[in-house]
Amino acid sequence: MAIAVSAYDNLSMDELRRRLEEAEDTLRAIREGEVDALVVRNPRREDEVFTLEGGTSYHSFMEAMDLGAAAFDDSNRLLYANKALRELLHLPDDTIDASHIAAVLDEETLVTVRGLIEAAKQTKQTAEIAVVVDSREMQLLVSAAPLQLGVTRGLAVTFTDITAKVRAASAEASERAAHSIIASANEAVVVCDTNGVITHANAAVSAIYNGNPVGEVFSDIIPLKLTDSTGLLQTEDIVSLAVSGTSVQGIEAVASQAPRVKDVLLSAAPLRVGSDKVSGCVITMVDLSQRKAAEKQQLLLMGELDHRVKNTLALVMSICKRTASTEETVQGFQAAFTGRIQALAATHNLLADRSWSSISIAEIVSAELDPFVSSAQARLKVEGIEAKVLPRAAIALGLVIHELATNAVKYGALSNETGRVQVKVTRNEGEAWLGIEWVESGGPVVHPPSKRGFGQTVITRSLQYTSNGGADLEYPPEGLRCRIRIPEEDLVAA
Amino acid sequence: MQDATEFASPNEPLKLVLYVAGQTPKSLAAIANLQRICDENEPGKYAVEVIDLKKAPQLAREHNIVAIPTLVRQLPTPIRKIIGDLSDREKVLVHLKVGEE
Repeated sequence: MAIAVSAYDNLSMDELRRRLEEAEDTLRAIREGEVDALVVRNPRREDEVFTLEGGTSYHSFMEAMDLGAAAFDDSNRLLYANKALRELLHLPDDTIDASHIAAVLDEETLVTVRGLIEAAKQTKQTAEIAVVVDSREMQLLVSAAPLQLGVTRGLAVTFTDITAKVRAASAEASERAAHSIIASANEAVVVCDTNGVITHANAAVSAIYNGNPVGEVFSDIIPLKLTDSTGLLQTEDIVSLAVSGTSVQGIEAVASQAPRVKDVLLSAAPLRVGSDKVSGCVITMVDLSQRKAAEKQQLLLMGELDHRVKNTLALVMSICKRTASTEETVQGFQAAFTGRIQALAATHNLLADRSWSSISIAEIVSAELDPFVSSAQARLKVEGIEAKVLPRAAIALGLVIHELATNAVKYGALSNETGRVQVKVTRNEGEAWLGIEWVESGGPVVHPPSKRGFGQTVITRSLQYTSNGGADLEYPPEGLRCRIRIPEEDLVAA
Repeated sequence: MQDATEFASPNEPLKLVLYVAGQTPKSLAAIANLQRICDENEPGKYAVEVIDLKKAPQLAREHNIVAIPTLVRQLPTPIRKIIGDLSDREKVLVHLKVGEE
């Protein structure tokens, strides 16, 4: 009743009484539900008509809303549910009450919503709930706020379907996770769409393709030659297979145009996101460079072993034949042949210990002389022979030293108690070899041999596999001298 | 709006204004009930004006209307107001006659 206080001063008692009666009557009429609309003054001091019932006021407003909305009274009785909510929760069109909404919610969600409604009588509340309507799972955002319904207080509750939003957020999160998984992978990972166009590629792909691969056709920018295939299967076929739903695993391929990694193990699998529909393919390329290098090394070693076994067998046969032709008795043959095979074995052992790389001359000399002079080191002087040689020279040198030692023990400086052997290295400017001098002294007087034995042949010829190698024997009376030439191509820089 | 202090002659019809709010049930009921009351009583005794405050809410101030529907007996003075859908015929007639004489 918009009457200014000051106005009462000028009114008669009758008029005041009448107005009081009128005011009381108005309140009674509202209380008793005799009216269904009120005139209220809005903040702009304009009069507005506010309808209390009959579906023309908040009902029509609620009907115009896209989101599901319901109005409850103070006692949590459902006053109205709009069409959007009835459709959202599949509620009946008429005679609907709060129990219909409660029936849609499971026990836990019901507790949440009841708590929300209770708390919303004070202030606006919001919660997310999950409901299943006709076996469709939905995420709803429930918002409840106090509502003045004419003369009584109530609650406005809205239900917003945020399923799509939640799914989008979840999809975005899983896409982020997928991105980081791809990015973290050591292997090159490429994701293609159904047309074979690259949509994602991780950093490891840069070892295979120099540039930004995204947006390019995979088979165009990374042409792979599939090893062990007839040529019928091409890169684009692998992509097509994966896109059509067939996984391809562990195909060795060569990326001939790749900047760094050329040998790869290729796998491709269909990409299924969300549904069963294939939306592209995921291709991984594992770097096989190290494995390939190891395989090559192994092949090389096998070839080398084969070669050496054949050489050794040829050498053994040659030693056997020549020993037999120079030795006059079976015992003599046996001793000489065994000694030579042992000399060969000693060098072999050394080389095997070093994985057939290089070994030092000192080690060879020591291994070959050990059986003869181990207890008389003072009679053997070895100087400056730390240089290393390749296996070819090592085997030859081993045989040469063995023959020289055998000869020294039999006829030379080591055949008596006073003789000495000096082994020293000489290297002169301009010479394409390393010289090793074997100098005997203090032994019996030396006479040049009347016939050329196998030992002499071994000494002079063993290192003659190149023009820079070889050995010369001299027979001065004071002691045998041998000048061995290790070809420089078989020397290894220390 | 006419001056509220004016006096009506006995032959003049009672001037009634019914305030309604669009098509609300009580508004519609009030219109129908008033129509019946007028028809049942002496025809020509009442001059009725129906004001839809939905369309012209500013007119509510003239008679300080708060609740709808409200029937105002504008003439003769003093102004009388009857709030509700006018379904209680006797009450309506009593109110309309009060102070008439």
